Amino acid sequence: MLSTSLVWWTIAIYIIISLFVAYLSRSGKQTNMVSYFLGDRKLNGFVSALSYSATTYSAFMLVGLAGLTYKGGVGAFGFEIIYFMGVSLVAFFGPRFWLVGKKYGYVTPSEMLGDRYENKKVAMVVSIFSCLFLIPYSAVQLAGVGYLLAGITDHAISFTTGVIIATVLAIVFSYIAGIRSVAWTDSLQSLFMIISATLVVILIIRGLGGLGSFFDTIKSSNPQSLTVPGNGFFSFLTFLGLTVPWFFFSLSNPQVSQRLFMPASLKSLRTMLMGFLIFGFIYTIVSVVWGFSASIMFPNLENADLATPKMLSSDLVPPILAVIVMVGIMAAAISTIDSILLTLSSLFARDVYGNIKKDATDKSQLVVGKIVIPIIAILAYLFAQTNANLIAVLSVASSAGLLVAVPAIIGAFFWKRGTAAGALSSVIISGIIVIILELTSLKPLGLASGLWAIIISTLLFIGVSLMTKAPEKKATEFLSYLKTELRKNKIV
Amino acid sequence: MKSKELKWAILISIIILLGYLLPYTVLTNVAEWYGSLLLWTILAVIIIAINYLISRKWGE
Repeated sequence: MLSTSLVWWTIAIYIIISLFVAYLSRSGKQTNMVSYFLGDRKLNGFVSALSYSATTYSAFMLVGLAGLTYKGGVGAFGFEIIYFMGVSLVAFFGPRFWLVGKKYGYVTPSEMLGDRYENKKVAMVVSIFSCLFLIPYSAVQLAGVGYLLAGITDHAISFTTGVIIATVLAIVFSYIAGIRSVAWTDSLQSLFMIISATLVVILIIRGLGGLGSFFDTIKSSNPQSLTVPGNGFFSFLTFLGLTVPWFFFSLSNPQVSQRLFMPASLKSLRTMLMGFLIFGFIYTIVSVVWGFSASIMFPNLENADLATPKMLSSDLVPPILAVIVMVGIMAAAISTIDSILLTLSSLFARDVYGNIKKDATDKSQLVVGKIVIPIIAILAYLFAQTNANLIAVLSVASSAGLLVAVPAIIGAFFWKRGTAAGALSSVIISGIIVIILELTSLKPLGLASGLWAIIISTLLFIGVSLMTKAPEKKATEFLSYLKTELRKNKIV
Repeated sequence: MKSKELKWAILISIIILLGYLLPYTVLTNVAEWYGSLLLWTILAVIIIAINYLISRKWGE
């Protein structure tokens, strides 16, 4: 157990520094949607890379992934690496998003779909489904901060206090300057996350006698953990069911795909991609080594989620470093939540409000967006407080649930025949099927909900599109613009 | 998709496929650090290199 005053002091310092950075990030007037939610499409590559990393990697890494490694061994590493390889989708879709975003003035990925398929309902439906899955997902992240602080201080800091701190910080970071304050605080937090975690892992490995003896210990005590399916936890179908939804994460999750609109240039977009890949590679290895270390040091834990708090209270980690890692985990959660918060507000303001109220100006959308930020945060806070089964289910379902928009997204860039009816039916029907499968814990044919999501949504998108009339003029214009620009910018 | 892009896409797909197949077949009994752990690490590094090459001329 760590001293409560040390924990409080470290949190206080973290808050002061981040608020300072958020304050500094204010530049120019954020009086329109593009400015507030996309930073005027002028983010530099370095900040984009760090912020993309912080948004992608949540408290899941050092708690959940480490726990998965603890339970199932090296398969957890494979799972995260498959996701990592999926980020290569950005190398193909990134420039395309960026080019059309600039040309047509898109603020949200769903707005892009609505325009490309010439049907505003597509934008609305995709946005509503995103909220449906991502608000519970944020709630679970908030709860994660609560559990972490309570666990580490032996409840001297209560669960509720932890959740409130996280909620307030997420609101403040997104409110001060929209995406600018989110991106800059994200950058700071990502550096914090990776440096603290790497340091502590190096210390632990040294404490356990160096890399050689680290692997010898794993090999002698738990050889199965170095293979898949290993102890059976990562059966091939489980592995497939986990990895497929995450493989498409960079396209399916709007809080990251919206980032593709923001870099100042294609060069910055490139820096974002490469920077993320290096960050992600290191952070993945660190989190997995962390989980392996826990299995060496505390082999018989009942609950794998306790692995991280246990490690932080162990003798191998000096208390001050332990508190810093703890704040690093907190930062990982908050930097994910504030980005989701901002993205969901933009989705609501642009695609729901903006389409329901026909004469909504850009300015009134921004006002609505700003009002919605705290509302979504409070919703997530309330969800985090209730232990409702549905919230947990929707959160787990989020990676599978968001997958249903992927065929329509791919189709927008690569298939002229795609139609609004195809997009709508694939999102709505497969989305509902995912929720039903998750609620009933059914796995027809042994396949997880994510696999059904991608299979059914692909079939529906293609099938229904072929039966309906495609927006030919728009599709031709959209795709030929891309063709010219991609060539001009040496992308193809 | 243009042919250059298509070639990269195929190469990436092959690497990902290897990431699914090898650990569950050839390496399923190799309980060593140089088993699946090393394989996935190497594949990840190759993916970084490929992304570097794909994006090399962006915006020039």
